[in-house]
Amino acid sequence: MKRKWLTGNRITIFYGTLLIIIWECWLRLFEIPVYLLPKPSGIVVKFIQHFPLILEYTWITGIESFGGFFVSIALGIPLSLFIAFSDFLRKTLYPSIVALQLVPKIALAPLFVTWFGFGMMPKFIIVFLLCFFPILLNAILGFTSLRQELQNFALSTGADPLTVFWKVRLPAALPQIFVGFKWAAVNATVGATIGEWIGGDAGLGYYIQIASGDMKMDLAFAIIVMLAFLGLVLYFLVVVFEKILTPWHVSQRSSVHGGGMVGMQ
Amino acid sequence: METIEIKNHQDKKHGITSFFYKWMREAYLPTLTMIFFFVLWEVLIRLLEVPRYILPAPLAIFKEFGKNFPLIWSHTLVTANETFIGFAIAVVVGVPLSICVAFSETLRRTVYVGSVALGMVPTIAFAPLFVVWFGFAFASKMVVVFWVCFFPILINGIFGFISLSDELKYFSQSTGANQITTFWKIRLPAALPQVFLGLKGGAINATIGATIAEWIGGSAGLGYYIQVATGDFNMRLALASIIMLTLVGLLLYFLVVLVEIKLIPWHESQRDNV
Amino acid sequence: MVDEFIRLEGASKCYDSKKGPINAVAPMDLSINRGEFVSFLGPSGCGKSTMMMMIAGLLGCTEGSIHIDGERVVKPQTNIGIVFQNLVLVDWRDVLGNVLLQVEMRKLKVKDYETKARELLASVGLEDFLNHHPYELSGGMQQRAAFCRALVHDPPLVLMDEPLGALDAMTREQLRKDLEKLWMATGKTFVFVTHDISEAVQLSDRVIIISPRPGRVDAEFTIDLPRPRDFNVMQSDKFHHYVKEISSIFMRYGVI
Repeated sequence: MKRKWLTGNRITIFYGTLLIIIWECWLRLFEIPVYLLPKPSGIVVKFIQHFPLILEYTWITGIESFGGFFVSIALGIPLSLFIAFSDFLRKTLYPSIVALQLVPKIALAPLFVTWFGFGMMPKFIIVFLLCFFPILLNAILGFTSLRQELQNFALSTGADPLTVFWKVRLPAALPQIFVGFKWAAVNATVGATIGEWIGGDAGLGYYIQIASGDMKMDLAFAIIVMLAFLGLVLYFLVVVFEKILTPWHVSQRSSVHGGGMVGMQ
Repeated sequence: METIEIKNHQDKKHGITSFFYKWMREAYLPTLTMIFFFVLWEVLIRLLEVPRYILPAPLAIFKEFGKNFPLIWSHTLVTANETFIGFAIAVVVGVPLSICVAFSETLRRTVYVGSVALGMVPTIAFAPLFVVWFGFAFASKMVVVFWVCFFPILINGIFGFISLSDELKYFSQSTGANQITTFWKIRLPAALPQVFLGLKGGAINATIGATIAEWIGGSAGLGYYIQVATGDFNMRLALASIIMLTLVGLLLYFLVVLVEIKLIPWHESQRDNV
Repeated sequence: MVDEFIRLEGASKCYDSKKGPINAVAPMDLSINRGEFVSFLGPSGCGKSTMMMMIAGLLGCTEGSIHIDGERVVKPQTNIGIVFQNLVLVDWRDVLGNVLLQVEMRKLKVKDYETKARELLASVGLEDFLNHHPYELSGGMQQRAAFCRALVHDPPLVLMDEPLGALDAMTREQLRKDLEKLWMATGKTFVFVTHDISEAVQLSDRVIIISPRPGRVDAEFTIDLPRPRDFNVMQSDKFHHYVKEISSIFMRYGVI
């Protein structure tokens, strides 16, 4: 039997390229207006033409997303420690947090804009809210699910709580903590985009709104590509840190991203 | 004599009162905490005399809610429609598609990879495009809800149908069963838990999709109403609408959970209340 | 009268890997008779599981051939029952449903086999657990159900890959007794893979010693002990003699 040429990554590249070619030819052939669907060539052209402004706005959206993301880590991890290690807080605060998680925080965007105006602040807050809960909840889960055998081992060594934390609890919790980080990373740019859309005067989300408002879909798509790229950068930053900090974990051994829910907006 | 009396007294706690005590023990702290926060909220607003266009007090929200109930309710129905129907379409399209993708390497390397990439882009960026294609009416809202639910359902579905442990694979081969039998009797039941994870993920996203769609091009619905209320600085109405929005999302989520309990009663998640 | 059932002729298995070819199983000549209880005994990684999979047709021979009942093995064999170490019971069916899964997958009539399934399960003490789900049972009970599933469709050959490996010592002893009982009652050919020397001696008619990788048949021991092999038999001098002889072979390998 002849060995198939089209295997593995080549399939993706082949069909991806085929798609782009068909896309381009179809639109040219049927002369479909730009506002219905832009041509790949048009997208590339607009990307290059408007590159300086796109870059500037990327920087702004980047600050909003990355900033909100890191602030939620800075606040979320310490709080998770308090909640995980205090029975009282766990029984009182934790259920309230889970309940709050159910509120679609994106819907709060107009309120934040009204309260904080058009600057970066409301975007920060939206990003923060979107990132904070997954980080907090996953960190609590990580810190509270130490296997009984490890707990007993730690007790038997007679080490003080701080040593136990650094040497056992924290490393054991890291994989779950990173689950929260990855989830939050995906959502960070979403929050920034929505914030800029509802009330912004700068940033990629704002720019997409302007472009699509003017029916310049080719420009809009070019900006979307940049936005996706920005989101990927943050995600891969987290993945890199995960590899550095938890190289020993099961998920780092194979390339399977298994378990748990995938794909949240 | 004393010790016996004490024992009797303790025994009394079993039976009628034990059920009451158990409920009290488990639910009272969280409930008390929430009540505490609401009271604190109310007190702080009054004490600091926070103007109601900045942050309204809980009681004021309730009052406003009561006053405008018919209107809020009609918007709720609109959003609920978009949410539920969009979700249903995403399920009907997403689950069968995930089966197809799981079984074809070509589809996996194209559709799956493409979906992961597309799913990472904030939906709001595509929303204007959908409005252009489908108009300002109900259809475009449904498409946005569909879009937002589709990716978790598809991606989790693929995970569910792709995995088959080696031992189960060998067992199926030893029975001589064909692919279809193996699918119906083994792959499908084994995949259901992961499929439901995807459905629940989609259910959580659904109301967000409806809200975004209404922001882009809507004239009705809770998302739209939140924008209007905020524009009028009527924060009480806006917050009341958000509460309704949460409830719609919760309803969809619990409907999915109900179906899950019926379909996979054997699964771990039904045992541990995770 | 010897009735040859399975024959391996120069059967070997070689894998390609990034670091070069891996010889898992060296060319092997072996014969297994109908109705025999044969153990493949060897240290971890010696290729005994691979051999079993080759007989099952789940892995192919790189060289040589395997014949079962005169027919060459070229694809997954279906006239067998198979039991693995890790649970192959499915979560979503109860114990009876799991045993009947074997029947359903073969498109046979469940009604015809239900009595047999119930009898098998009763013979291993699971008659009160027919409607329980695997997660409600202990490891030993689950493996008993797995044995029943491998037997319900009456295959002439049953292959078992370290089925007792994941169980605690006491459960293992109990299950060995159950396994012998099942074998004596059904008269089938059992091929049993293990790394436990006394387990192999206790259960088998013949113990085939497999050397460390690349696995080859280093020795064969015909176990001449009365059945059923109860506690007294296991305390006998003859039993200890077999165990000692086999152990010394493994000591030569350096694995004990």
